[in-house]
Amino acid sequence: MGANGRLPGAATPVRRILALGGHEFSARPPDRAVCELLLRLAGERAGERPRICILPTASGDTSEQIASFYSAFGERSCEPSDISLFRLGRRPVALRDHLLAQDLIYVGGGSMLNLLAVWEAHDIAAILSLAWRRGIVLAGQSAGAMCWFEAGITKSSGKPLAAAGLGLLSGSLCVHYNNEPERRAAYLDAVGEGMPSGYGLDDYAGLLWEGEGAPSAVTARRGARAYRVSGREGQVAESPLPARFLPAPAPAALREDIAEFRRIKTMRKRAGWLG
Amino acid sequence: MRKADPQIVAFGGGGFSMESGNPLLDDYVLGLTRAERPRVCFLPTASGDADHYVVRFYRAFSAHRCEASHISLFRREQGPSDLRRHLLSQDLIYVGGGSVVSLLGVWRAHGLDSILREAWESGVVLCGLSAGSLCWFAEAVTGFHGAPKRLRGLGLLPFSNCVHYERGKGRGEAYHQFLREGMRGGYAAEDGAALHFSGEELSRVVASRPEARGYRLDVAGSRVVEMRIATTYLGDPGAVPAAPLPEALSTAPAA
Repeated sequence: MGANGRLPGAATPVRRILALGGHEFSARPPDRAVCELLLRLAGERAGERPRICILPTASGDTSEQIASFYSAFGERSCEPSDISLFRLGRRPVALRDHLLAQDLIYVGGGSMLNLLAVWEAHDIAAILSLAWRRGIVLAGQSAGAMCWFEAGITKSSGKPLAAAGLGLLSGSLCVHYNNEPERRAAYLDAVGEGMPSGYGLDDYAGLLWEGEGAPSAVTARRGARAYRVSGREGQVAESPLPARFLPAPAPAALREDIAEFRRIKTMRKRAGWLG
Repeated sequence: MRKADPQIVAFGGGGFSMESGNPLLDDYVLGLTRAERPRVCFLPTASGDADHYVVRFYRAFSAHRCEASHISLFRREQGPSDLRRHLLSQDLIYVGGGSVVSLLGVWRAHGLDSILREAWESGVVLCGLSAGSLCWFAEAVTGFHGAPKRLRGLGLLPFSNCVHYERGKGRGEAYHQFLREGMRGGYAAEDGAALHFSGEELSRVVASRPEARGYRLDVAGSRVVEMRIATTYLGDPGAVPAAPLPEALSTAPAA
């Protein structure tokens, strides 16, 4: 892979999507491993300081989701930003220009139904599709992973139901696969009843599409798997895919002042100054 | 008991969201329900169902004077599972401010556009401020996303609407321009003013601040005619009976 996400000699940029079954932006090892992969994909396109933008739309732009994104990427070698469609009043953004200037666009989890409805209202879908064709990496977890497919299984209305996505990737996706048995059951039923075949992703499992062809599976936690789920004449077959393990990088070194504060706190605790 | 007339109260701005300590507009819409302990449901959709906004609603609409609830369309696994039944059983539906574009998109995805029309027709009082005002009209001027834009609302009221209509904010100019370009006539309201419609007719303009006004805007040829509407300041003693009578509504000054 060369600069700008182009294969050497290729005329068009490689289209890349990373779909993740579920993760957080915490400091725990599997979460750090996921962030490392996101940074690597963005870096392959841009080099030193890739631009990474979160669309927290599916959550209703909660400050919690936005803050956890910045806590994961704020200190890393990248330029993180967010577009909050519910807060454009206070922070107007040139949506198209900003999104097309990114190296990676990350879509957070939440309500898939609302995500697609709000994107439609703001004409975001066409921009994301163009970004994809230009080689900007599209990524996301949960609703932010299913949105790229023709269909997904969402709990946006309470119980798990099928919902349509943008359809950049053909087929369907079900997230939190073995973590939410009722969601998996609804998916298997739906595929049996004619929903396009697709994939199941456990939390901390992911699928990476790079160009044409089959995706490669990755996993950031032992036991977390990706499954191929296919329906044929009412019968549904589910088979786990071989996955590459993503090791967690060493935690970022603590800043000196924080480390100092923690040392003092520990000493005080030992001396019985704090409860 | 169901009221005969559908009612909408469209705030230019105000109520608990914007006027902490001034409950005049919120008291007014509660009074319209004529219920002793009205059932009030808050829809914070335009804010992305922001937690802090929901908390402020429950503080303002406390349990001693109403039966308050809210619907978060971003967290459907909590709250009522049958949206239609819950909304149709309310006396008042109160829509919060934020992004009207996002609001309308999410409502359509959950079928709230048709449920709210049904609620309105069956006599549930609908109200809201800012995005929660614009949404009821056929057309609206929104300035939420930077430069003022035209957009289509639910169309319960066959007019255009502009909120936060204070001078010097550029909205007035934009609204006039849109009207000259063919937008239908309609109503504007300043912060603290509320347009009260019975059916599709404006029955009165009320205000939580003495100086707040509502306006009627029409196009005559290529000219925009803007009229200030006589406004009742709700802070004046005896300005409004707690539950206005239909006779009072029909004789209220509308121009």
